[in-house]
Amino acid sequence: MNAQVGLIAVVPVRDGAIPAGGLEALAESRGHGVLVGTDLEAAVVDTRGVTSRLILAPTTSCAPRVLAEAAAAALSAHAPHVAVVIPASPDGRDLAPLLARRLDRALYAGATEVAEHRVRTARQGGLAIAQFDVHRPFVATLQPGVRGVDQHFTDDPEIVRIDPSNSMPSAVTTDEVLPPDVSTMDLAEAPRIVGGGAGLDGAERFAKLAEVSKALDASMGVTRVITDRGWVSHERQIGTTGVVVDPRLYVSFGISGAVQHTSGLGQPDHIISVNTDAHCPMMQMSDLAIVADANDVLEALATKLSIETERGVA
Amino acid sequence: MSADARFDADVIVVGAGPAGSCAAIELARAGRRVILVERGPFPGSKNMYGGVVYPRILDELIPSWWETAPVQRWVVRRSTMILSESNALTIDYRNPAWAEPPHNGATAYRPDFDNWLAQHAVEAGAVLVTSTTVTGLLRDAAGRVSGVRTDRPDGDLRAPVVIACDGVNSFLAKEAGLYPHTDPANFTLGVKETLALPKHVIDERFNVRDDQGVDIEILGGTSGVNGGGFVYTNLDTVSLGVVLKLPKLAAQKKRPEEIIAGLKSHPAIAPLVEGAEVKEYSAHVIPEAGLSMMPTMVADGLLVAGDAAALCLAAGIWLEGVNFALASGMYAGQAAHEALTRHDVSAKSLKAYTERLNATFVLSDHKKLRKVPGLVLSDRVQQKYPGFVTGVVERVFRVDNPNPKPGLRRIVREERKRAGIGLRDLLKDGWTGMRGFG
Amino acid sequence: MSSSIGRDRVSVAVCLKWVTPVGRDDDRFAGVSAADQAALESALMWAERTGADVTVVTVGPVGAERALRDALACGATRAIRIDADPSAPSSDVARVVAPHVASASMVWCGDYSLDRGSGSFPAFLADTLGIDQALGLVDVDLSDPERIRAVRRLDGGRREVLSITARAVVSVEGSVARLRRAPLRALLATNDAAISVHAAALIGEETALVPFRPRARVLPAPVGSSALDRVRTLTDAGGTPSRSETVELSPDAAADRILAALREWGYLA
Ligand SMILES: Cc1cc2nc3c(=O)[nH]c(=O)nc-3n(C[C@H](O)[C@H](O)[C@H](O)COP(=O)(O)OP(=O)(O)OC[C@H]3O[C@@H](n4cnc5c(N)ncnc54)[C@H](O)[C@@H]3O)c2cc1C
Ligand SMILES: Cc1cc2nc3c(=O)[nH]c(=O)nc-3n(C[C@H](O)[C@H](O)[C@H](O)COP(=O)(O)OP(=O)(O)OC[C@H]3O[C@@H](n4cnc5c(N)ncnc54)[C@H](O)[C@@H]3O)c2cc1C
Ligand SMILES: Nc1ncnc2c1ncn2[C@@H]1O[C@H](COP(=O)(O)O)[C@@H](O)[C@H]1O
Repeated sequence: MNAQVGLIAVVPVRDGAIPAGGLEALAESRGHGVLVGTDLEAAVVDTRGVTSRLILAPTTSCAPRVLAEAAAAALSAHAPHVAVVIPASPDGRDLAPLLARRLDRALYAGATEVAEHRVRTARQGGLAIAQFDVHRPFVATLQPGVRGVDQHFTDDPEIVRIDPSNSMPSAVTTDEVLPPDVSTMDLAEAPRIVGGGAGLDGAERFAKLAEVSKALDASMGVTRVITDRGWVSHERQIGTTGVVVDPRLYVSFGISGAVQHTSGLGQPDHIISVNTDAHCPMMQMSDLAIVADANDVLEALATKLSIETERGVA
Repeated sequence: MSADARFDADVIVVGAGPAGSCAAIELARAGRRVILVERGPFPGSKNMYGGVVYPRILDELIPSWWETAPVQRWVVRRSTMILSESNALTIDYRNPAWAEPPHNGATAYRPDFDNWLAQHAVEAGAVLVTSTTVTGLLRDAAGRVSGVRTDRPDGDLRAPVVIACDGVNSFLAKEAGLYPHTDPANFTLGVKETLALPKHVIDERFNVRDDQGVDIEILGGTSGVNGGGFVYTNLDTVSLGVVLKLPKLAAQKKRPEEIIAGLKSHPAIAPLVEGAEVKEYSAHVIPEAGLSMMPTMVADGLLVAGDAAALCLAAGIWLEGVNFALASGMYAGQAAHEALTRHDVSAKSLKAYTERLNATFVLSDHKKLRKVPGLVLSDRVQQKYPGFVTGVVERVFRVDNPNPKPGLRRIVREERKRAGIGLRDLLKDGWTGMRGFG
Repeated sequence: MSSSIGRDRVSVAVCLKWVTPVGRDDDRFAGVSAADQAALESALMWAERTGADVTVVTVGPVGAERALRDALACGATRAIRIDADPSAPSSDVARVVAPHVASASMVWCGDYSLDRGSGSFPAFLADTLGIDQALGLVDVDLSDPERIRAVRRLDGGRREVLSITARAVVSVEGSVARLRRAPLRALLATNDAAISVHAAALIGEETALVPFRPRARVLPAPVGSSALDRVRTLTDAGGTPSRSETVELSPDAAADRILAALREWGYLA
């Protein structure tokens, strides 16, 4: 491949970590990307199979302006006039507008699909899609979790290295980076999710569900029926009008598996479901489908888990 | 008035429902400083009712109101249905003239209607404060009402007159000690579903067109709980609801949603609402006992209007409250203005309000119909009459050849006996009904 | 505390977006997001500590003045409405706002607007003003107003702890602060408060919308993980997935079975 492809990914890298959606952005651009940030060599390893050609633009800090300057310089030198896709991770969302300004391009934020001349973005809280046909280079951010990652390349990527750029004084400085905490984690980024639906019969069940989630190192998600009832706030809703998630493990209690729910579920490696109806779609797609009262199982599980943690402490 | 500085306004009106907005319009037009306090985010936002308003009383206040009022459909058909288990007797009246100004009744959504009315108050100069709940009355040294306390910081408002238009179960009228006692038997619970259907489907099923609408009042069909039902057509929704006697509801341990579901599946109702999607479910209490439960409506510095004063007419084939609220609000506003002009806002001076209510339909309708709610909601009328009436009609229309047609008198006697209604009771109810409705 | 007056006075700005909910094209249901309210509350608290003036700015129709009046009643000093189409690209919206907040030492925004919601306006604004940004804050500590300590959401559940000094554009999530209720007397006073209105030319964006359909996700490459089994089961038309198992169990046995499965799959030690 050469520098004239129509789409290139720009992935902000913080201390060697590829952000949520970073690999998807690289897959969207067919393996052609710029890594910008700190400790890039470590990140390169994690892109194997997904990347064919990488430009590394190292920086000494991850301040948005620093990343934007470095990415703009790299693109101007090595891929001018090429449309840019950036993962809509926190750092990606920070970077994208600044980069768009530096390249004097339009920004399409929160896209579900990005191609050289076409961008689709979700609108109206996910109920509709807007399609843009674009004939000038642009910058877009791609929603993590919507695409998935396919791997095309067996060889290591071809790599272009750019000299490190200098940091600049800033009114905003990073004091430290705190490790993940499942109870505050964004659902979209949670590797394990415990979900609850209308089969759980009261608001207080969801306090219990949160407890069990925490004990399993998982985040809690729910169906729209539950957020409509006001039992759990909307940011915990999984599905087309909620959060699109992509956990490795999904454990569901009393969820029927409506398409609006499951289409936001990603592709977990393992699914366990508890439901009184053995034939509902959620049970059908489970690795382990348990026919039982979800409320009782939840209680039993909570009891067992609290015993286990106590024993663990003792 | 030199006292002005102590006051934030001449009058504080609590509640921007139909009663409150009319009071505010009257006062603001008379040049009074009015603050209209409403707890919802906008007037009407949380208000519910069955669905039909009779706004003729607005003719003076808002000339040609029909040109701007947010109306869904003009009622040209009024039906009264008597439902037994599976039969129905409908008396249907149609008057196309009601589709033309000055009209009669109209279906309207309260968030639209109340907001429209409140905007007239604002245009006239009233100050509307929303998302603010009145939590109590302020009194001066002499114990006269002199303002309200609200739930906002720095939230006391002072005025020589307060008009309580805060709806059924008025917390202000109670706090002022104007309700001697409250008996749950005086209230009914109204529950309603708003059902979405395409306009053309409604037009066909209800046999109307354009902006014509239908008002159906129902006796029976409430799963044995004393009460009644209604079906009203909006542009592309149908309001279907039941009104249920509270103590009976509690005693029978039935949930209102079950009773609505029962009505919806009645063979006479089901085809009307088949396939409709429930857009909204709401519930509200109705002061139903009429005259017998009305509070004292004036105190020093205080007037009570609308549902807050129990001025709601729920009497079987009538379910009217908005028009009474509009009128009483207007009269309360006028009385307050006159009392302020006299520099005397004592109960005695404000009494002109009650006199006006007595002199107009507001109380004369209630007086005339005072026995009707009790009759309509009585066990006999509720439990026995629907079966009796539909039984009679069934036999009148049944062709049972070769048997000859039986005489009407015989049918009535046999059906009356079968329904377990004593002749004496039937005559008594008939008499009460004649006098009550007459 | 700054006691200086006039042009040197410290000032802070808040950007509020007036949003009409989807499918209800009706101003009665419009309002500002919880995030914008949190931004306003944070700015008011910051101003109380620094003695700063608070300017609230919106780009939108006349209905949006309701939000500005509420903000004034809550304690904001000045309100500006820019009469222009807020559906224009965020970059352009930011350009028309910038001159009105140019003297502010801090500009507070919500992290996302409720309708188009790209979260990009604050970054565009920072760039136009040539100042730094701290966006998507989940926690803000104002005890030292000269040096705000804040926590920002990163991905993978990580959090970045930041120190923020003037001048910067910050955006906050709705959970950061709960807006105070406006005192009644202040609310009455703002009914005829002066709002300065400026016209600007912005060209709104018109796009054709189609109903949402989730994009078909590509399958991960078969690398011998359990994902492979899933690919197999997915392509195994009609047949029951090989690993899948349906059991009817008592609650207690069900809990044990779940824990056993989680151990087997390596989620629990
Ligand atoms: C435009 C649109 C967008 C939507 N977006 C979303 C979205 O983003 N996310 C979303 O989740 N939904 C969404 N929905 C709603 C979706 O269609 C479903 O209604 C919803 O997902 C169902 O939630 P549920 O599984 O909790 O409830 P139900 O479908 O009611 O299922 C409850 C399940 O619990 C089981 N159950 C009952 N009692 C017990 C018991 N005691 N023990 C165990 N199991 C029990 C039942 O067998 C059933 O399977 C959307 C709908 C529309 C129209
Ligand atoms: C199920 C049902 C069906 C009905 N059907 C009909 C019908 O078809 N036709 C008809 O004419 N009538 C009908 N009615 C009756 C009608 O709704 C009432 O009579 C009418 O609304 C009374 O108007 P109002 O202004 O007195 O009170 P409301 O409409 O109740 O208004 C009171 C206002 O005060 C506000 N408020 C209350 N407390 C406070 C406080 N503390 N501080 C600030 N604000 C406060 C409320 O938010 C509200 O806006 C029906 C009622 C019910 C329940
Ligand atoms: N039209 C607008 N007027 C004022 N502030 C705005 C406007 N649009 C966006 N903002 C601000 O920018 C934040 C993020 O919005 P957005 O970039 O549209 O998601 C909002 O929460 C507001 O604080």
